[in-house]
Amino acid sequence: MTDFTLNGEAASVDADPTTPLLWIIRERVGLTGTKYGCGVGACGACTVHIDGQPVPSCSLPLSAAEGAEITTIEGLSLDGSHPVQQAWVEVDVPQCGYCQSGQIMACAAMIRDVPDPTDADIDAYLAGNLCRCGVYNRIRVAAKRAAEIARG
Amino acid sequence: MDIDTSRRSFLTGAAAALTVPLALPAAAQMTEALMPELARWPDSYLRIDADGIVTCILPTCEMGQGTHTGQAMILAEELGADLSTIRIEMPTQPSEPFRLPFGQMRSVGSYGIRFFHDPMRRAAAQMRLMLVQAAADQLGVPKKSLQARNGMIVHEGTDRAIPFADLVQAARMLPVPEPELLPEEERTLTGTDVPRLDTPAKTRGEAIYAIDVTLPDMAYGAVRLAPVFMADVASMDPASVLDMPGVIAVTQVPRGAVVVAESWWQAKQAADALDITFTQTAGDTLDQATLEARIAEGLSREDVPETLTRGDPAGVLEAAETVVEADYAVPLLAHACMEPVNCTAQDTGDRVELWAGTQGHDWKRMMLERELGITADQLFINTTFLGGGFGRKTWHHDAVQAVLASRAVDGRPVKVIWSREDDTAFGMYRQTMQARFRGAVDSDGRITAMTVRVAGPQMGAAIVQENNMDPFSLLGLVDQPYAVPNYAVDHAVVDIPVPLSAWRAIATSFTGYWMESFIDELADAAGMDPVAFRLLNLPEDSQARPVLERAAAMAGWDQTPPEGVYRGVSVVGSYNSMVAQVAEVAMVGEGDDARVTVPRVFAAIDCGRAIHPGQVETQIQGSVIDALGPVLRAKITLEGGAAVQSNYTDYQLVRIDEAPAVAVEIVDTGASLGGVGEPGVPPLAGAVCNAVFAATGRRIRALPLADHGLA
Repeated sequence: MTDFTLNGEAASVDADPTTPLLWIIRERVGLTGTKYGCGVGACGACTVHIDGQPVPSCSLPLSAAEGAEITTIEGLSLDGSHPVQQAWVEVDVPQCGYCQSGQIMACAAMIRDVPDPTDADIDAYLAGNLCRCGVYNRIRVAAKRAAEIARG
Repeated sequence: MDIDTSRRSFLTGAAAALTVPLALPAAAQMTEALMPELARWPDSYLRIDADGIVTCILPTCEMGQGTHTGQAMILAEELGADLSTIRIEMPTQPSEPFRLPFGQMRSVGSYGIRFFHDPMRRAAAQMRLMLVQAAADQLGVPKKSLQARNGMIVHEGTDRAIPFADLVQAARMLPVPEPELLPEEERTLTGTDVPRLDTPAKTRGEAIYAIDVTLPDMAYGAVRLAPVFMADVASMDPASVLDMPGVIAVTQVPRGAVVVAESWWQAKQAADALDITFTQTAGDTLDQATLEARIAEGLSREDVPETLTRGDPAGVLEAAETVVEADYAVPLLAHACMEPVNCTAQDTGDRVELWAGTQGHDWKRMMLERELGITADQLFINTTFLGGGFGRKTWHHDAVQAVLASRAVDGRPVKVIWSREDDTAFGMYRQTMQARFRGAVDSDGRITAMTVRVAGPQMGAAIVQENNMDPFSLLGLVDQPYAVPNYAVDHAVVDIPVPLSAWRAIATSFTGYWMESFIDELADAAGMDPVAFRLLNLPEDSQARPVLERAAAMAGWDQTPPEGVYRGVSVVGSYNSMVAQVAEVAMVGEGDDARVTVPRVFAAIDCGRAIHPGQVETQIQGSVIDALGPVLRAKITLEGGAAVQSNYTDYQLVRIDEAPAVAVEIVDTGASLGGVGEPGVPPLAGAVCNAVFAATGRRIRALPLADHGLA
């Protein structure tokens, strides 16, 4: 049995501890906003926050989640009101949208660490998140706007 | 079969709804004219229910291209409805006429807006007139004193307003009138940047893609397929994995096996451990060098049918003083959609249901009937959002696997997911092609003759026309925009044992690169500026001129670029749109370590009236960035008959830190509607490679740049 906190609620999962956390979140907990993209931590579609840090959940075994506080896109805000989500809507970022949960989780971690991100900060924090639709121009605008909203 | 439905309203399953059929246009409106069956979509209709919700049944999916938002805008505007009341849906089970040989229900060719714009407008106008008539009858006022606004019929003067919902009962009894379209000045919704309808769900993790579908009692399937493309199963021992945790069944499928388990990870572990061997094939020894040599043989083959010949290109080239010759090549490419290939199926014996993010509904129908005997009346397809498509999701293999997997577990629903490695290795690749160009320019800089020999595979008998005219190989060449009085194109067909498929922008993804690189070579031979050379050789009425001039102006082409910045230009028409791009290249590093970066791209598009300018902008930006991956590094190569690449680690696409800033301007010359999802791709490779020439003096005649030590 592996115990952790998911989006603020206690969770307890009985599964092979080597199972990647991604599949536990998607299939056992049933939260499908976190996506499978590559399985090797190369695309960022599965990004969640673990104890506040953005982590590719496809490459983290369940056992490593023991006692962790995990936040997924569903737990970022109750109503889509997180500054990153607000900015993403304002700039109308997504096309296919598949990578966007991961982009948003990575960006949320960035603007917490870097209140006023430069282009270089954005490159550094978001280069792990692949977007096949290539909406990076809008992501760049929205990331700065999200930081602005968060600064108030 | 022609069905004239223009004069009748009809009732569908939903009682008390007003339904107007979409009378769709003739095939001639499809500029490609590839698939005449596409002309009729008898299941398309527009319906308003008693609650005022307007539903349009269309055959096009939402895979990122924004088509459902654009379609809803067109309908809301013409109907006078509130945009939030519009629903675009895809039928789960189209009727008989959909089952034609090449399939009709497909989302391809950038036609979601341009093909349905006029029929949607007409149907919405008819529905509006019926609602107006019903209101006129109820209020006892003349029709011309009434207007449809925000989902209500409003009486001018008295401000009395009746919601559409309250008029449905009366309106549905009326005959369907001739449509009277809104005058242009009253079209105030299209042409604006309304928020995409799917954005809120996509920013909250709530949008459901096929991979997210969750059904009661669902099991999961992972595949183990033959790495060599044309191989099949030689032997398999299911017992080798049946006692692994969670494993329920192992079932053979074409080219391999599906392992079904209670979780996908369990299924995947077992699929990897499965004791299975594959047949030997002639493709087992195919490697990249062999493949390229086999195609190159086609460059000098004799007796190739002339696909297009005008004038006397051979004679003029023979006599010309300035002749340029160049051979070009492009490799296989994967689609690499972020959402890997997957499909959920449940086969309960008399009914088969699919949950699929698919571009190719009717291809799935046809192949499920052919391979598994599932008839159309038994098959129901639920369409989800697609996590990218780019042509890859027109295929059926995942559906066949999922149905067989469901059968293997007594009809439980099974979600088959390919791993990223499966998705990369078992691709339906963009074809690898080569070409030999010869061209002549006169002393004034006019192109006097050009010949193009294409060598490589064709894309299937279903679309190949007379004289080897394969649109999937030759569009962008046979319809290139320049005035070349003596011109010839032919195609030496070289079959290769590799599964191939349309990739974003299909033939123009490589023909655009070739033609615009070669035009640059001719400009250089003529000693002319690349933009001036193009303008000289484009006909006065060419749609390419305004976008070329605009992109050049955006980039400040007539000014010297800053130190270290080099520019290249390109203009390519596709899908009835014309796009010009200027790419700026800056070299990073010195000598042998010098690498190409592309900090900025300027793009101008003429797609006719832009229904949603913001979505045009983001589609072109995305297309440029998408196209840059295979210019810099991405390619699929073969070794031992199998793909070498396996994941995003070795099939490298552009990340945010390498993405150019793409400026987009829309040039509306009054042209008819063009596509937007694909036309941004074709010009990019030529623009970048022409800029690389400006930077290095090297002509890049084969992609990607990494093969030349430049990326």
